[in-house]
Amino acid sequence: MTIGLVVYPELCHGCGNCVVACPVNSLRSPEISGGKGPTDDVDVIMMVDDGVIQLKNSNLCGKCGTCAESCPVYAIRLEKVEEAK
Amino acid sequence: METTEMIEGKDISVERTGAEDRKLKFKNELCGSCGLCEKICPVTAIEVNPTGAMVRTEQDASKIEIDESKCVLCGMCSSICPYDALDLEIEGKSIKELEEYPKLIKSSEIDDEACIYCKACETACPPGAITIARELPDRSKLVSGEIEIDKETCVKCGICEEMCPADAIELDYKFPTSDDPTIASDINVDKDKCVYCLVCKKACPVDAIKAVCRICSYGDYDIKAEDSEIIGNSDIDAETCVNCGWCEDICPVDAAKVTKPFEGKVTIDEETCQGCETCVMACPCNALSFPESAESGDVEDKLHIDEKYCIYCGACERACPVNAIDVERTKINCTPIKSKSWEKAFESVKD
Repeated sequence: MTIGLVVYPELCHGCGNCVVACPVNSLRSPEISGGKGPTDDVDVIMMVDDGVIQLKNSNLCGKCGTCAESCPVYAIRLEKVEEAK
Repeated sequence: METTEMIEGKDISVERTGAEDRKLKFKNELCGSCGLCEKICPVTAIEVNPTGAMVRTEQDASKIEIDESKCVLCGMCSSICPYDALDLEIEGKSIKELEEYPKLIKSSEIDDEACIYCKACETACPPGAITIARELPDRSKLVSGEIEIDKETCVKCGICEEMCPADAIELDYKFPTSDDPTIASDINVDKDKCVYCLVCKKACPVDAIKAVCRICSYGDYDIKAEDSEIIGNSDIDAETCVNCGWCEDICPVDAAKVTKPFEGKVTIDEETCQGCETCVMACPCNALSFPESAESGDVEDKLHIDEKYCIYCGACERACPVNAIDVERTKINCTPIKSKSWEKAFESVKD
């Protein structure tokens, strides 16, 4: 068991707080650090797609918990997950 | 020989019985999530959970996990842990008391002779390990004077009562009746509270108060030195103390002395830092902060570190999701290492 990033799309309101708060996203894209949504050509950890949160590259996650803290509805969490083999 | 693991709440113990009983104990509450145990473990039996996740989000898990099938109970983790969260006992005795094993040299002390019990250290101490108990002198013994209210002249207006900074004057208010048309039945000064500041005398609209401060007139000759003495004592809880140096730095009279377990250097890559604050929350020593902008609208300064408070444990480096922090340990302050393999292991956690 390890601690990893998990999303709950059924809870997500699509506000995008996590996408903007995420320091890894922010470092990878100046658009995101400026508060805009990411463009398709940047590899980000998560993005709001069609109104709900989706994990794109969870392998980039540094597990800092900034996204989880910024989410108003607990739709993104760091929790125990089966280790990826 | 059998190795068993016990988990109590978030505390862990791994025990091996046999020719020599060995027991490794982990206290979750003391752990700083710095990752040094994981780094030094020769058999990768320890996994330290993500530092940021542990400090920023609620987790049911312990800060570290020990795989009892791998752990050889060697005690290296216990010897390197700067927070004493891990302890290996051999035949019931901590290896930190055994001369054969290296022990980190770290301590914090407050000299009660020099301490003025100002409580700055108590307020600043990151883990709240310091308690300062103090008994202040009796205020009435530090002032000297006389005060008298001429109750015949007094019109019970209450101005003196309202203005007295020491709450020493009290009027007994009442509703005026035809048989007793006054608004207060009495006025009194509590001479234990009065500091003879003379505000009441100056404010009284009918000059009903006669007061004099003897110290103003004659100096403080009639105050006894022993009456102004502050009695106190200081206590540092050795278990929770992280030897960060805050007490030593903030003490105005140099009464605190701290010896840190490591020496080193922290480098912050300001371009990479995105200001997520995870490191600030992770640092057990409150060495990191984001300075507040002086005025609203100003661009905030970048992440600030004061290495005076840093013990180079590496928790911040581990917490940073974008690898913007580098913690380097250049020296480990410890008692002599008697084995070559231990020396190598200690060397290996330097960078």
